[in-house]
This record gives sequence, C-alpha cells and structure tokens, in this order.
Amino acid sequence: MATIGCKDFPDYLEPWMEGDRHPDALAHLRDCPRCRSLVEDLKMIQTTAQEWGRTESEPPAHLWNSLRVQLVQEGLIHQQSKRRGWLPSLPRPALAGAYLAAVIAVAFGLSGPVNQRINRARWLEGTQNSTTPLRAQFASAEMNATTLSVPDSNPTVTASLHNNLAIVDNYIVLCEKSVNEEPENELARDYLFEAYQQKADLLAQLSERGGSGR
Amino acid sequence: MSTTHFVSGYWNGKAAGLLASGLLLFSATASAHRIEKHFTVEPRAVITIHNPNGKIVVKAWTKHEVMVIANHASDKVEVTAEQTGNRVDLRTQQLADTVAPDDLRADYEVSVPEDAELQIHDDSGEVSVANVLGDMNVETVAAGVALEDAAGYLTVKTVGGSFQCVRCAGRLEVSSISGSFRLLDLRSYHVRAQTSTGNILFDGEFLPNGIYRLKNYSGVIEVRFSPGDSFDLSATSLKGSVNNEAKLTPPAHPQRLSSKFGYALGTFNAGRAKVELTSFDGTINVRKRN
Repeated sequence: MATIGCKDFPDYLEPWMEGDRHPDALAHLRDCPRCRSLVEDLKMIQTTAQEWGRTESEPPAHLWNSLRVQLVQEGLIHQQSKRRGWLPSLPRPALAGAYLAAVIAVAFGLSGPVNQRINRARWLEGTQNSTTPLRAQFASAEMNATTLSVPDSNPTVTASLHNNLAIVDNYIVLCEKSVNEEPENELARDYLFEAYQQKADLLAQLSERGGSGR
Repeated sequence: MSTTHFVSGYWNGKAAGLLASGLLLFSATASAHRIEKHFTVEPRAVITIHNPNGKIVVKAWTKHEVMVIANHASDKVEVTAEQTGNRVDLRTQQLADTVAPDDLRADYEVSVPEDAELQIHDDSGEVSVANVLGDMNVETVAAGVALEDAAGYLTVKTVGGSFQCVRCAGRLEVSSISGSFRLLDLRSYHVRAQTSTGNILFDGEFLPNGIYRLKNYSGVIEVRFSPGDSFDLSATSLKGSVNNEAKLTPPAHPQRLSSKFGYALGTFNAGRAKVELTSFDGTINVRKRN
C-alpha cells in the first residue's frame, strides 16, 4: 500500500528520473495512474531530448533556466540545491537555428497529454504556463531580429517578412483565444502550435538576414 | 567543362546618348552585364541557383548540357557560374556592403537536361520552371513560383509568394504563410499544401492510393472532382464552413465532431484516394468539375 500521495510525489520525481527508485514512490506509482502517466510523459520527453542532442550544439543557458522555472511552476519538478537535477544532465537539444521551435515542442508536450487527462481547468492552466515563457522568448528574439535586420539591401523582402510576421501574430492571438475557449480542442491546439513554429521560422529568417547584412 | 561565349558589355550614359532612339530602347532592355556559359554534364546533374532578387526561368532541353544566360544591371553585383563534378552552382554575389535594391537584381535563363535536379533560392522576383522531371526544391520569400510539366519530388516553400503548378506529377509539398496556391491538371500521388492566409485551388486527378492534404488558416480551399473519381473525404473547418457537392457514403465508424465545426466526411465511389481538407476559419468548397 502506498505511503505517499499525489501531493508528495513531486518530491520524489526528480530522483526517480535519475534512476533513484524510492520504495514509497514505487508504491505510489503502482496505485496512481495519474502520476504514472506523468512519469511516462517525462520519460518520453527525456528520450526525445537525448535524440535531439546527439548531433546538435548547445542552446543558450537562459532557455534551460526558463524551462526549469516553468517545470517548477507547474509542480512537475522541485527546486533542489543539494542534488544535481535531471534536466541539466540531459544532452542539449537542437536549438541552434530553430531553438524556439524545439522549446515550443517541449512546452506543448508538457501541457498536452499530462493535463488532458486531468480536467479542463488544469489543461488551460497548463497551456498558459507553457505559452507564457514562450511569449517572453519570442519578444526577446523579435527585438534581436528587428535590431539586426538593419542595414537592409532588399526592403521588399524585409517588408514581406514583417508583414507575414504580423499575420502570424494575429493568427496566434486568434488561435490562443480559440484554445482558451476550448482547451481540449486538438485542432485548435495544432493550429496554435503551427503558428508558433511559423513565428520561430520567420524570426530565424529575419535574424539570418540581419546577421549577414543582406 | 565550361565555355564563356560573351562576358560583359557595359553601356555608359554618354555612349548611350549618342545612339539612335531605337538603340536606346534596346540598351534599356538589354542588361549592362550579360554572361552566357555552357557546362557539359552527366545524367541527373544538380543545378543550384542562389539569387536575392530577380527572375529565374529554367527550361528543359534534350542536350546533356547546362546553358546559363544571366543579366544584371549593376556592377555592384556579379554572377558566378561554376561546375563541380556533376553540379553547377549559379550565384549572384553582392560586391559592395550596401547595394540599392534595383542594383541587386539579376535575371537568369537556364536550360538544363530533363532529368536535372534543381535547388533554387530566390528571395524576391519570380521563379518559373518548365519540363524538368528531376527533384526540385524552391525557396523564396516574396517571389512567386510557377512550375509546369514538372515531376519528381517537388518541395516549395515561400513566405508570401504565390505558387502555381500545372500538369505536375510525382510528389508535391508546398508551404507558405500568405501565398495562394493553384494546383491545376495535377497527376501527383502525394500532395501536401499548407498556407496560412492564402487560398488553395486543387483541380487535378485523385490517383488510386494517393494522399491529398490541403490546409489553411483562413481563405478558401477549393477542390474539384469528376463523377468517376474515387476518394475518401475528410473536410473540416473549425470556425468556417464546408460546401460539399460530392454525394458521400458516411463512414462506418463516424467520428464525434463538435456541431460547431463545419465538416464533410465520407467516401466517394470506392474511396481509393485519401483527401484531407482542413481550415481554421476559412471556407472549404468541394465542387463538381464542369
């Protein structure tokens, strides 16, 4: 019989992901499908991140920090000062050019199936927790891209990129509204996910153009 | 191996002022810098073209040779054409740090063997390819792309440029943010087309076992069918409407969809091809071909 409840399980989660199988956690997982599915989802993310990291370069440290903060906020991991956390020990994923898209994928992965199984309110909260740090990342990337995109030797192209960025921003607002209204609607979430990918792609193009000066 | 037939003919304003008006007109249309090069290639040669601004026209011919004619007006850019093995690389190079947009322009006419593979990058201007049967990848920002009688694995990506494909075959994947697509007389077994705010028109054959996925955010998706066609249809618009003229047999295991969705699901004739149409708040029209 389990001696800990769902409320206590997050304390055991981080060691568990590092291979430390505490008997109380083991007993709880036997009885609790919700926490079991959480562990399965985290394992899946861990495996995917490991696959990404085999060939790619390191992302900026602040991205990892923001992901960690997000996980802590969602109660999926706890801050731990004495032990080395599982997340920083993961190989670093492919974020050099399209790092924002990867962050989106992870963020949506976290807020998707885990929360879907709980309830609508939790689902919505998860989505908001996942997208809020993304907005900050995008704002920062957008500022950099705008600063870099001067001087400009082809204003037609730059104007097209900015116009389409505005289209995608509008599209994100509408998709978010739709997701907020119907958080369990997979199609709306797909559209939102794609809009974020498009935005990441456009910002990368703007940065590249700025970086090369043409 | 390459041969340069003619390189550079520079018209300055003073000389042009002395010419008759007919010649003046000619000098205005003919570019200040012209390059023509020929490269002998083996089967399945790869041709890459990288051009920031201008028109690119590629046509197939029966020779085992690549012919490049490039024109540019400014001496602030140069066109390079080089062969490495069975690959020919064409590139517009910027020679000054700052170049006015008009000075950046270069136009290309390229003749290639039918089985050539193309990789084209053109930010603005237009791209036109005809009768090339090899794989091709075209990427643009604002430039429109027109393919005719193309085959192979075709991937096209634009940001705002439109796309038209006439009598294309093989596999087609096209994506854009605001560009519209016209897919006419297609004989492709795999089509994946996705744009955010553009329209999509599909007027082609649904081949047996073919997969046709068209998706946009807003705008109109229009698909035309003939009475003899055979496909499974799934058309969904989250906030918009679906207008369907095909008499469909409902699916054996109907999905539970919200009544707020516009949708049409079912099988037309034997359902040999798979047709998936998805929009967020656009209109989907499935029309009988006239």
